[in-house]
Order: sequence, then structure tokens, then C-alpha cells
Amino acid sequence: MSETSIALALEAAEARLRSILQTVPDAMIIIDERGRIESLSTTAERLFGYAADEACGRNISLLMPSPYREQHDAYIERYLHTRERRIIGIGRIVVGQRKDGTTFPMHLTVGELRAGERHHFTGFIRDLTDQQLTEDRLKELQSEVTHMSRFTALGEMASTLAHEINQPLTAISNYLKGSRRLLERMEGENVEMLRDAVSRAADQALRAGQIIRRLREFVARGESERRIESLPKLIEDASTLALVGAREHGIAVTFRLDPDADLVLADRIQIQQVLVNLMRNAIDVMSEGGAVRRLDIATAGGQDDQVEVIVADTGSGLAPEVARQLFQPFVTTKRKGMGLGLSICRTIVEAHGGKIWVESPPEGGTIFHFTLRTAPHDRENEHA
Amino acid sequence: MPSQVVHVIDDDVDVRQSLAFLLSTAGLAVRVHESAIAFLKVLPDAQPGCVVTDIRMPDMDGLELQRRLVELKAGFPVIVMTGHGDVPMAVEAMKTGAVDFIEKPFDDETLLSAIRSALDSHSRNREREDRIQAIRQRLDALSGRERDVLRGLAAGKANKVIAYDLGISARTVEVYRANVMTKMQADSLSELVRMVLMVEGDS
Repeated sequence: MSETSIALALEAAEARLRSILQTVPDAMIIIDERGRIESLSTTAERLFGYAADEACGRNISLLMPSPYREQHDAYIERYLHTRERRIIGIGRIVVGQRKDGTTFPMHLTVGELRAGERHHFTGFIRDLTDQQLTEDRLKELQSEVTHMSRFTALGEMASTLAHEINQPLTAISNYLKGSRRLLERMEGENVEMLRDAVSRAADQALRAGQIIRRLREFVARGESERRIESLPKLIEDASTLALVGAREHGIAVTFRLDPDADLVLADRIQIQQVLVNLMRNAIDVMSEGGAVRRLDIATAGGQDDQVEVIVADTGSGLAPEVARQLFQPFVTTKRKGMGLGLSICRTIVEAHGGKIWVESPPEGGTIFHFTLRTAPHDRENEHA
Repeated sequence: MPSQVVHVIDDDVDVRQSLAFLLSTAGLAVRVHESAIAFLKVLPDAQPGCVVTDIRMPDMDGLELQRRLVELKAGFPVIVMTGHGDVPMAVEAMKTGAVDFIEKPFDDETLLSAIRSALDSHSRNREREDRIQAIRQRLDALSGRERDVLRGLAAGKANKVIAYDLGISARTVEVYRANVMTKMQADSLSELVRMVLMVEGDS
């Protein structure tokens, strides 16, 4: 082959390469064995935001974020040394970095090209941003569906449970009420105390029955028996129940109740369940440790027809990955917990037309917020 | 009324026995029966009195028993006990002539006063009239819209359906419902339905 024909062939080859680089739909980058960029396709220019002449000659690590950036030279070296293929001919999902510093998920396939003693590597890159978005959305939807189906399962469970538990509850309260009647006719030092205790025990059996009835009605119809209730009273009652033992754990409790947050439309028992749950969680968390142990309970009124209830603790706070899915069933940070408390809280609050969310303040601790709808004051003049 | 007996019918042995215990501590004579069929078998020899029966039982339920007793003109006033969510069945039982229904678990006084008035037809009528009178007064205190919502609730309709029927928002229905429950002094939907049925059965 003459020199001219070699030159011509070379030129033709280069033209072919240029044309390929311009038209190949995927981003394509060729580097040498030291990782220097030799050429990149038009799509690659667009994808990474670098013009070809800007990127050529620079190390390919330019197009990836840390820590890959620092390690890439070592990857090539190891391959040339060991011939162990980790990405060549396999392809995997990695992270790319654009000129503006933003990163994106991409699928990378690498081919090897040997010309004499020299190695070249060809990378084909597919941008996965859209695909990733779709997948994220899909995951989100899936978790919502899981939430719903778990709830339906929960509903069925509650229904069966309601029926099964009701019978023993009836027997318990019958025996206790009967015993109290017998005690009424007795005399003795301890009879009065006994009578009182038996009577209280019977009331608790009835209360358990009431909780189950409401839970069942609630999962069956999505409705609960709402009344116009005083929010401060609800909080007071729930606190009496929830704050047992708080002082023993050295926890100081403060209340800041907004006088504007007064009457709400609520199922007393259910909202008390939410309040008790949040307060007990806070106490449990703070009992585990921490120098400052403070439980703040506050309300705020005024916004639209909503009032807000805030339960804040100074516990160890929540890991972000826990915070995100905290209201899902079966998510728990407790060793003994089933992870149902907060998901039930969420269902109750949402069924009341409110919202529940959690905040992790930078100074530590956890703040739960939920909203309830206020009850209109003037209902007689309300016409439909 | 020493010769009168309360016949307790429940397929759950523990509920049955606990009821026998409770009623005997209140000075009532009790016979327990494990099923409606077992009770019907001994009916010809059964001592007079009243029947307290569970509504949901295998083989023959409380509703069917109530119907049979009416057919046989047995003369036993029937009180049905319901579990959760059996309100429609209880309504049915009341329509076929049950004198009362009561939701498990119940307060002893509620059950005992129901039994006493069932056993004593004189006081039954008097007490019943007093109760109906009291319910009427509460009904009179309801506004027009509240009464509309009450009718919907008694018919077993969900809030959303009532809202649609009345052409008002579900939220407004909820407010009316809350007021109805408070004014009627009802602790539960089943109690509200029970009140409405008593008044309806009377007129």
C-alpha cells in the first residue's frame, strides 16, 4: 500500500468514525489506556454538557462524581494488569456527572479495542433519568398500594378479632358486675376497696369493647362517631392516661394550648388513641437516655378551619430513612413494637380530614404534628 | 315474680355461664340453653319468663328463634344480644317483635332493666311509655335538617349517601350527625337506631 493510499484509507476511516460519533443515538466515548478522552459523540456532548474539543485529552474521570472520580485510573490499571473484567462486556448502572456538577443515573457498557500495543476503551452510555423517575414513582405507588392492602387485611383482622374478643369481654364484664353485686351485700374491712376495684375492672372491660366497636365500624365504613369535642379536654384526658410514669423517668411535661384551638369535630376515643400513642412513643424514646427530657404538647388554631396539635420530644430523633416511611404499617424502631401505632394514627387523622407529619429539627428530638377540623360555632343558622 | 325464669340462649358456653352468674346475683332465676333448637325442644315444659338470646348462632339464629316463638304463640318476650355490626339484624328482630336489643359487651344495669320490664308486662308498658316519652322530647328538639340526617342514619345510610340525598356536603352531614347524637343522648349508632325503633313501633 502506498503512502497516499494509506493516508486516504486513514481519512476515510476517520470520516466514518466522525459520522458514527455524530449519529449514534447513545452517548459514546472513546478513551485510551490512561483514561484520556479521545473522542465523544454528539449525544455525549449534549448529555454531559461538554463540547468535544473541551473534553478531549482530559481524563474520563471528569464525567463522574467522587469517589469514582478518584478511583477510575486505578480501575483501568487493575484491568490492564489482571485482565479481570468488571464492567467490560457486562454493563452496569453507574452515576455520571454533568459539566454543571449535577449527577444522573446511567447505564454504561464498555468495549475494548486493541490496536497493536495500545488499548482503547469504548463506552456506550444510556441516560436513565426518565426511567429512574418512572421507577421511583412506581415504588411510591407500590408502597401506597401495600399500605392500602395491608390496611384492608388489617380491617378484616380487626373485624374477626372484634367478634372473637367480644365474647370473652362480655363474659369478663358479666362476672365482674355480678361479683360487685355480691360484694354490695358483704361487709368487712376490705370489701369497699374490693368493690371499687371490681367495679373499675368491669368498666375497663366495657371500654375495651367500645374501642373494638369503634375500630370495627371505622374499618368497615370508614366512618367514626364524631362529636363536637373540646380539644383541651381531649388532650387533658389523653395525658392522664399517657403520662403515667413520665415523672419517674425524669421527663418534664409542658402544655401550651392556644385558646383559639377549642372545638373540633372528632371521635373522642380515636383522637385520644392518636394522642396517647404519640405521647407514649415520646416517653418511650426519652426513657432510653438523654440529658434533657422534655415533652412539649401544644396546639395552634386559626388557620382556615383547621387546628394543629404538636407533640415534641427531646429524644434521640429519627433516622431519615425511618422518618420517610414512619407512617407505614409494620415500620418500627422499637424492639418489641409491631409498627402499627403510627399507621393507625395516620389512618385516623386522615379519616378526620386532617394530616399528620413528622419533623426532625436540627437540634435533635422529634416533633409530630397533626391537624383536625374545627367545629363550626354557629350551626343552627347554617343552611344547606 | 318468683316463678318467672330468664332463659339465656348463647352458643358460647362462657358467655352463657357468666350471664347466669350475673343474673343470679341480681336475684333472678336463670336457665341456660346452648342453642335455639335446644330451647325449642324444652319449650313445652319451660317455665314462663323471658328469653335473652344471642343473635348470631349456628344452626338457628336469634332472628329465626324470635319468629318461631311468635308462630308458636309461646308468649316469651325476647331480648336479643348482638355483637358488633349486627345492628341491621337487631332492627329486623325488633320489627318481628323482639322487645329490646342490647349490644355486647353491655352494662349490667342496661340488661337488668330490659329484663325486668320484659318480665313484668305492667311495668313493661309503663316504663316503655316513659322511655318513649323521653325519646319524643329529644326528637322534638331536633332541627329539620337534623331530623333528615337522623332518618338517613336510621335507614343505615353512610354519611356520603345522606349528603348526596339531601344535596349537602358530607362535612355538613357530619356536623348534623354529631348534634343528633348529642341531643338524642345516644352513645352509639345502635343506640340511636334502638330509640328510633321504639318510637316507630309505638306509633
